[in-house]
Amino acid sequence: MSAATTNGKTLKVRYFDIEENPTEHYLNAESGLKSWLFTVDHKRIGLMYLASIAFFFFVGGVLALVLRTELFTPAENLMTAETYNRIFTVHGAVMVFLFIIPSIPAALGNFLLPMMLGAKDVAFPRLNLASFWIYSIGALFTLVSLGVNPVDTGWTFYTPYSVQTGSAVILMTIGVFIMGFSSILTGMNFIVTIHKMRAPGMTWGRMPLFLWAMYATSIIQVLATPVLAITLALLIMERTLGIGIFDPALGGDPVLYQHFFWFYSHPAVYIMIVPAFGVISELIATFSRKTIFGYWAIAMSSLAIAFIGSLVWGHHMFVSGQSELSTVIFSFLTFFVGIPTGIKIFNWLATMHKGSIDMKTPMLYACIFLFLFTIGGVTGIMLGAISVNVQLHDTYYVVAHFHYVMMGGTVMAFLGGLHYWWPKMTGKMYSEFWGRISAIIIFIGFNLTFLPQFIMGSQGMPRRYYSYIEQFQTMHQLSTIGSYILGVGFVIIAVYLAHSLMKGQKAPANPWGARTLDWMTSSPPAQHNFNYQPVCNNGAYDFHKPIADFTLGIAEDEHAHEQKGDTIKQQEQNV
Amino acid sequence: MAEAHSLENPRLQHHFRNADQQFSSSKLGMWLFLFTEIMFFGGLFVAYIVYRAWNPELFTMAASQLDTVLGAVNTVVLIGSSLTIALAIRAAQTDKQKQIVNYLLMTILLAGVFLVIKYFEYMHKFDLGIFPGAYYTFEGIDHPKANVFFSIYYMMTGLHGLHVVIGIGLMIWLVVRAKMGDYSSKWYTPVEMTGLYWHLVDIIWIFLFPLMYLIE
Amino acid sequence: MSSHHIIPMKTLISTSLALVVLTIVTVAVFYLPIPAPFDVVVALLLASFKATLVGMFFMGLYYDEKFNTVVLMFSFLFFIVFIGITLLDTLFRDSGISVW
Repeated sequence: MSAATTNGKTLKVRYFDIEENPTEHYLNAESGLKSWLFTVDHKRIGLMYLASIAFFFFVGGVLALVLRTELFTPAENLMTAETYNRIFTVHGAVMVFLFIIPSIPAALGNFLLPMMLGAKDVAFPRLNLASFWIYSIGALFTLVSLGVNPVDTGWTFYTPYSVQTGSAVILMTIGVFIMGFSSILTGMNFIVTIHKMRAPGMTWGRMPLFLWAMYATSIIQVLATPVLAITLALLIMERTLGIGIFDPALGGDPVLYQHFFWFYSHPAVYIMIVPAFGVISELIATFSRKTIFGYWAIAMSSLAIAFIGSLVWGHHMFVSGQSELSTVIFSFLTFFVGIPTGIKIFNWLATMHKGSIDMKTPMLYACIFLFLFTIGGVTGIMLGAISVNVQLHDTYYVVAHFHYVMMGGTVMAFLGGLHYWWPKMTGKMYSEFWGRISAIIIFIGFNLTFLPQFIMGSQGMPRRYYSYIEQFQTMHQLSTIGSYILGVGFVIIAVYLAHSLMKGQKAPANPWGARTLDWMTSSPPAQHNFNYQPVCNNGAYDFHKPIADFTLGIAEDEHAHEQKGDTIKQQEQNV
Repeated sequence: MAEAHSLENPRLQHHFRNADQQFSSSKLGMWLFLFTEIMFFGGLFVAYIVYRAWNPELFTMAASQLDTVLGAVNTVVLIGSSLTIALAIRAAQTDKQKQIVNYLLMTILLAGVFLVIKYFEYMHKFDLGIFPGAYYTFEGIDHPKANVFFSIYYMMTGLHGLHVVIGIGLMIWLVVRAKMGDYSSKWYTPVEMTGLYWHLVDIIWIFLFPLMYLIE
Repeated sequence: MSSHHIIPMKTLISTSLALVVLTIVTVAVFYLPIPAPFDVVVALLLASFKATLVGMFFMGLYYDEKFNTVVLMFSFLFFIVFIGITLLDTLFRDSGISVW
């Protein structure tokens, strides 16, 4: 970048060395349970989120296996129909609110955002800790509701059934309400951090695309989550006081509930996928060893998805009884929102073209993502066509679609990111062999589980049904077998990652040769991230420049904690 | 130029380079929080607009049960409280310690007046049997959905009132800290943040008043 | 640029007076016979103007970084989106698409 974009300040800078295999780092800087539970270190908070979402993924996953086992035959196998309703509700609520919405932003985002910016922490570290505690308390309410009287309304809590059912709707919605605050506070923290705490020289155009994705996600979190909050509050008021806004028996309109609910819950799916897009940008650039193709297209498309995605919520309601006018408009906008996503896919492919592809586990997951998410995304567009939707609404086609985008998309990207940043977070390498094996097992298991569901759905198999007619049995059985294979894949991941923690090879600071600032510090990082104040002089994907060019920092900085390493070059730098 | 930590400015947190970056970050954070509050109340306004469009005659009939004068007085009371809290911030910015406390107390007083007026309004309605939702027993409005109007009324004014109570709590805390001399031109961020929150509470009422009380 | 702007006393007082006057105007207008829906439009315009005064001079947006105003604008924008598109449903339930 030229001097034309400076803010007029001149900084004295020099290059720094990066410490390999540090003896002191953020994991051992303080010890004891209290140092974790009351930490304001964004990295420790990120790890606590990581452990929590992994646990809830396990809970939701076990519930999924239970559901699929029940569906092996149309007969009553393990549970009554009422129990089945409760289990798919809990599976959905746990997976959506306790696992996937926090997953990439809270676990990976918290850890990486300040590091990628060259900052010491997020803007509001204590608020960050509060976010984690609020999430935990909300999760507790939700879990208590499971013990009291598991909810049976579906994770969507549609009225009037959710107003009338005897299950613990209020407890669960209070839990979700509370967790919404966690999401909002995290979003606020990230937006302010990105605006105010970028390293000197890091213009918006030099930020890694993961940060653009986190920025767009945070906007959605701040924008949409409050509407979920008021929706749930109104639902609770309806149950307790008989308010009458959503329940026709009390004079209300159930379609209005759906407007309120989906105004959040559709942008929520972009909260789930946009961070995944950010991860994929990092993985593909690094493992193609090539500058990302179309940086600004990808950056702006994240914002476009955030904006347009807030306009399309009614595509969940085509057959609900809403006006035909709004149906047509929502359908058109839904097609429109596919465009920025498509732009990303093509840019990623163009990045890989003539790149130097290194098929490490993270890259394997990125490729799996491209394949599975494309299927999920395209089937979403198909569901956006009104006439098709009339046939496919509330069938297994929808179930397959959202599992392809949420699991085939977000979870695959999450796994790719987890493996990519594992060395940075833990200071250990994982087993590349088992990484690839489990990725392949997961790919096979996933497709075996969900591809038959597309077929069943288009033939009319309804979703959330406990039983089914004879013609769907084969597809259901294939799907169930696939789900077990999928489960095995995840178990393998848990095993080798645990092994890596205990006995893994020590990781270098930058095992993948990336160029973003998170790699310009030791693995694991120091408590305050960098031993110098990084200065940004290059684009995030300038692989044509040597890594040494990226360790620029402010010389003689009284804010820095330690000044280590030999001076390679001293210069006056306009930033 | 970066400021030294600890000695010169004990309020400067270690991850910020100077106090100005910290203050402007806090302000941006607060504005983002206000964004969420607008969307939160916005949901209730949407419910209001939808039901008013569906049942215009109900809203006209039901609004006759609301006292326009009391609503207008409350509007002026909140405007006054916005002025007094702005003056409290100004006092902090100009290092007038006693004035900070006094203006905050005035704001709390005015907020209290608001709540007292609302209390009388609610009591009058309860006497008539106008309760929210399923507990509504008032016979004076000849419309099957009369309870829905008042449910929306109670939800909106109730949620707003809850925010007033929270604001009072925050301001009491500020008074305690101000009396200990915590705020000065060097650092008064909590006062500024509370001020922004309180002004939004005022703005929400500015919209609530005509929509609830002034329906012809 | 410092973000600590001290709002002049005159500005605060005159803003308060303007707000009180506008409140009186709002009530007075209520007693004028304006046909629906314009009575709501006028009331909302007055309320919006009052809110703008509060935002600009009590909350300091007039003196503040522009981005804070952008945040506020976005919140109104998305509120309008929410109500606008919802009304496309609730106001046109019985219309079909022949409303074109």
